[in-house]
Amino acid sequence: MSRKLRIAHLFPELLNLYGDGGNIITLQRRCEWRGIECEVVPVHFGHRPDFSGIDIAFIGGGSDREQRIVCNELLAVGAELRSYVNDGGVLLAVCGGYQLLGHSYAMGEETLKGLSLVDMYTDRGTPRLIGNIMIQTELFDMPVVGYENHGGRTHLADGVEPLGRVVHGHGNDGASGYEGCRWNNVVGTYIHGPLLPKNPELADWLLARALERQGASCDLARLDDSQERAANAVMVSRMEAGEA
Amino acid sequence: MSFRRSIAVGSGRLGAWTLKNVFHRNASTLPGRIALSVDSRVLDELGSRPSKGNIVVCGTNGKTTTTNLLAHAVQDSGQRVACNWAGANMATGVTTALLPSTPVEWGVFENDELSTIHIVPHVKPQTLLLLNLFRDQLDRCGEIDHVQDVIVQALSASPATTLLYDADDPLCAGIAVKIKKAGGKVLSFGIGEDLNLPQERVRGGAFCQECGAPLTYTYHHYGQLGDFSCPSCGFERGELDYVARNVRVGIDGVSFDVVTRDGSCMGRIHAPWGGVYMVYNLLGAFVAALGAGVDLKQFQKTVDAYDPKNGRLQRFSVKGRHVTLNLAKNPTGFNQNLGLLMSDPAPKAIYIVINDNANDGTDVSWLWDVDFERLGDLTDKVVYVGGLRANDMQVRLKYAGIDAQIAGDVAEFLSKTQGLPGDWNAWALTNYSALWPVKADLEKLGDVQ
Repeated sequence: MSRKLRIAHLFPELLNLYGDGGNIITLQRRCEWRGIECEVVPVHFGHRPDFSGIDIAFIGGGSDREQRIVCNELLAVGAELRSYVNDGGVLLAVCGGYQLLGHSYAMGEETLKGLSLVDMYTDRGTPRLIGNIMIQTELFDMPVVGYENHGGRTHLADGVEPLGRVVHGHGNDGASGYEGCRWNNVVGTYIHGPLLPKNPELADWLLARALERQGASCDLARLDDSQERAANAVMVSRMEAGEA
Repeated sequence: MSFRRSIAVGSGRLGAWTLKNVFHRNASTLPGRIALSVDSRVLDELGSRPSKGNIVVCGTNGKTTTTNLLAHAVQDSGQRVACNWAGANMATGVTTALLPSTPVEWGVFENDELSTIHIVPHVKPQTLLLLNLFRDQLDRCGEIDHVQDVIVQALSASPATTLLYDADDPLCAGIAVKIKKAGGKVLSFGIGEDLNLPQERVRGGAFCQECGAPLTYTYHHYGQLGDFSCPSCGFERGELDYVARNVRVGIDGVSFDVVTRDGSCMGRIHAPWGGVYMVYNLLGAFVAALGAGVDLKQFQKTVDAYDPKNGRLQRFSVKGRHVTLNLAKNPTGFNQNLGLLMSDPAPKAIYIVINDNANDGTDVSWLWDVDFERLGDLTDKVVYVGGLRANDMQVRLKYAGIDAQIAGDVAEFLSKTQGLPGDWNAWALTNYSALWPVKADLEKLGDVQ
């Protein structure tokens, strides 16, 4: 049976801070290389998407100003998004998009209302938590590596699993030792920009969950990931050596 | 001058003398750091040393080239200039440039965007030339909104300064709106026609600075630059004080007419360096130079003689192979450079070097905002990658459909590609800290052209 995935990229023109699009490219290529048809549906400002035909949704990060602009747009599709994720829809949200998954984001005087998709909230702290980060997830052996840069401190409610344990870097709040969230098929993380290219196992995990939800076979042909793994390993060893 | 301030200037000068005569070094920041450590307000004093005034240049891309062109133009018109030529663009660098006791008529200073607040209120420039604001080194600079706030604050503390800005950039125009509202003086420049350029995949910042609505464009050049307007609140590029018209952009250079607001043409500027961004750099430098008494004929003479050999589009010949080196440190710059590279009709060996040292920004996420996919259109090419982030670059290219190998340095790249026919050209694109080692290697290996 031929398999097909549809990926919704939410507000690419606003939430596109620092290479977020790399995640979409990665999902697309890894489908194509396996003969899985893949269609990317950009959801533009002012559009009201229909999530019934969507298999993976992606929300990127934006500057505070852009996040304020996008917040209302996201809330307008909040009900659709909520029923989508409650139905097991796959959602990846990074950085600013991650913060908006929770109930609220307190930015100084102002508090942005979030999507309440995940039982968590975010407030502001100083300093900004910036730098290379490595976390260990329970999903696979290879550490997840990337870069974080956030003023927000995200607090998960009891029962919400983090994406992983911080091995190097700061994570959700710089104190708990945890990073990101995982609830149903929702993954949120402060690891911004191109999260998936250097973490091919996480990319494949998302693809497999989306196929599984369709009732299609979630067997994914093995790809030659030697370049991706090398890029991951270089950063792991630099972080372990204190050189990054 | 207060006693403390004299001591500050004296110890800074002594530091400079010691570095030069004892250690045989020409330090670009240390003497300034010494002076500032004795008196943090020493720039108030030094900033008034240029008898005719100061000009400050800032913006994400093109600062060093524009500052050098401008300073040379003022110098070539027979006036003496203090300048942070080497691009030491924080308060320490500007202080160092102003320390020598030789009399000068003008100070021309490149400023890091976030350093404007430590420099502009003290040197009170006649003109602040704002070239563009692109996302760059987010981890170092903070978000672009913050960069804008800092520049507005710096200008507010120097109310006599005229803001000369690229009005095609909504992020610069947003600053100009605030300055105008506060009663400050502004002058705008831009490109007044559609250049019909191929459009990029990723674009940033194209939202209204006033109300947040998506901007619409009559025409669009690159990045967020173009003739924009906001359909909901009326924020727009508006009339330009100085316009580039009849613009020609090719691999061999750029040329354009300079037309003033009343429609009269001041003449034509041409330069042997390619890229639309050079039109902005040249136009901005020229208008700033006008304010220092330089006419167009004199400015063109300076451009004709200008050969910075600073790794920006610098050409070498290594064992008969033409090698072009260029700096590409953020998505907008990189996309522009790829455009230049693609316009070279010869088959190409390409070397991309990416470091993540502190002065590059330690976050290389932006590589995914560069439209490397367009390199896939080239049939005859080989691609190598290097630098601390060679592996990241290799993965980026893999997902753009391009097979790339790793080469440790430019010598290894050239030796691995030496078997290619002689009509293949080599291109080396590097980010900031990778530029100097590659440039030094190329100077050693071949002839500078």
